[in-house]
Amino acid sequence: MANTQQEELELQELRKQIFITGYKGGMAHLASCYSCLEMLYALYVKGILNYDPKNPHWQERDRFILSKGHAGLALYCVMQRAGLIREEAVTSYLQEESLIGGEPCMRDSPWVEATTGSLGHGLSMGLGIATALKLNHSSAKVYVMLGDGECEEGTVWEAAMTAPAFGLDALVAILDCNRIQKMDFVEKTIGAANWSERFTSFGWQVDEVDGHDMEAFQAVLTKENHSAKPRLILAHTVKGKGVSIMEDNPNWHFKLPGRKERKIFTQELGITEAELV
Amino acid sequence: MNRAYIGAMMELAQEDANVLHLLADSGTGYDELFGRSFPQQMFNFGIAEENMVSAAAGMASVGKLPFVFTAGAFLAYRALEFIRDDVCFQNLNVKIVGMGSGLSWSSLGPTHHTTEDISVLRAIPNLMILSPATPNQVRACVRSAYEHPGPVYLKIGMNQEREFFAEDYQLPQNGVDVLREGKDLAIFVTGSILEETMRAAELLAQDGIEARLLHVTTLKPFAQQAVLQAAGETQRIVTVEEHNIYGGLGSLTAEALAYNGIGAHVLPIGMQDCFAKGYGTHAAVRRANQLDGAQIYKKIREVWP
Repeated sequence: MANTQQEELELQELRKQIFITGYKGGMAHLASCYSCLEMLYALYVKGILNYDPKNPHWQERDRFILSKGHAGLALYCVMQRAGLIREEAVTSYLQEESLIGGEPCMRDSPWVEATTGSLGHGLSMGLGIATALKLNHSSAKVYVMLGDGECEEGTVWEAAMTAPAFGLDALVAILDCNRIQKMDFVEKTIGAANWSERFTSFGWQVDEVDGHDMEAFQAVLTKENHSAKPRLILAHTVKGKGVSIMEDNPNWHFKLPGRKERKIFTQELGITEAELV
Repeated sequence: MNRAYIGAMMELAQEDANVLHLLADSGTGYDELFGRSFPQQMFNFGIAEENMVSAAAGMASVGKLPFVFTAGAFLAYRALEFIRDDVCFQNLNVKIVGMGSGLSWSSLGPTHHTTEDISVLRAIPNLMILSPATPNQVRACVRSAYEHPGPVYLKIGMNQEREFFAEDYQLPQNGVDVLREGKDLAIFVTGSILEETMRAAELLAQDGIEARLLHVTTLKPFAQQAVLQAAGETQRIVTVEEHNIYGGLGSLTAEALAYNGIGAHVLPIGMQDCFAKGYGTHAAVRRANQLDGAQIYKKIREVWP
């Protein structure tokens, strides 16, 4: 399984857009954006999420929360591609009178289901949404994307404990396991992570997938959940995927390239110098 | 107070199936009553306050009306960022109910005291703050919180508070009630310590000093006008709170005067920027911290002999 040639072209266009927008804005978590880009694209563009593009308030819509809010720019670019937010909003990123900021924010778009940025909030918010939807006998699903570094926050585990106890089988956590946090590799920081064992022991149904393979990702996510448990999709990814010097390199958590490094970005992403002005 | 709270919650739950009673393993003592009648509307999150607050925000985003309930200290301090980011910044319709207000958990010590919550929470935009003194006020506040379309923090005591208000009491528009008239000085008080303050006012009256006594239930938005008016008429203002004098009712009152260019002497009575001394009954811990009626009276007489 893999991505089609057409999809790869579109993903490359998105990487390009994320870089140009972030570079012009003067700030972006590029590597975090690139590790989850395929998953965001699959969710919004390839039809995993059920939503009515004309009505962000449709009660039966699936919800998606980007709990690792640093990838907000990727989310906004994918939302634009899905026709949910305007191009002007994305190009305004961090410019004077910017319409969007560095983290997803509810007040900036009705399509943002939860304001994130401070880590360890999204899974609890999603848990609350899933509980409320269950009370409403809704069949909508709630997807929450976590970072693996984010799982060092205690509230992730408070929510991980509560979700199976509340029987929230409509809750799906997607763990973007890119193995890197701000200062170092996750494993060097907290030891072996064992996410699969940990979530399994908390009562979750766990599936593993290559987070860059959209076909495989979609196949896992659209699988029926007969377990009555919440699901964790452990997605193995490469932080900074798509730009050689950024891939799997902790130095790139929160950094824009300098003059020399910029050449590598522009060459590998097919960007002209003029596009960066 | 807890009995009044659960009674008011059951009335709301009956009227509106969206009203939810959320707990973090520290309930009212009457939750079974609620749970028996409304099993679908009660959730115990376990000892996980942050998760509860954040989940409540999620529920509110779907149109539910959650009231989260646990010790105020575990909400205002432990779950502060979740109150700020998830409830207040997103401006979601969540009611945060902190019980054991002030020194109510007297014997457990300062980890369980809620004596800085007003200071901490009043700095957060979009949050209404209510601080009732009696069971009938609690009932009215639950109703007012329900009717207010946005975040509310409601702090309630829990020690058999004496009733000063009518059965059918309703929270006035400005959130301030006058309990005694007087022209010599004005005492503003908030929360359960009203009872002690009433005693102090009675002692003052025995000396021929007539104090106007006003209870402030709504701390945010704060009824500045009541303070300005009292200052104009008496020039002497006392504030009484079972809370640090920094950032609470004393500060609110002084700010109201200064920001409006009104000069008046404000005597702030409360925790003098310290953690509470002593253990034992609520009354004993109030005495140990000079917050009983007799010592409140004494402090006022020291300043205005």
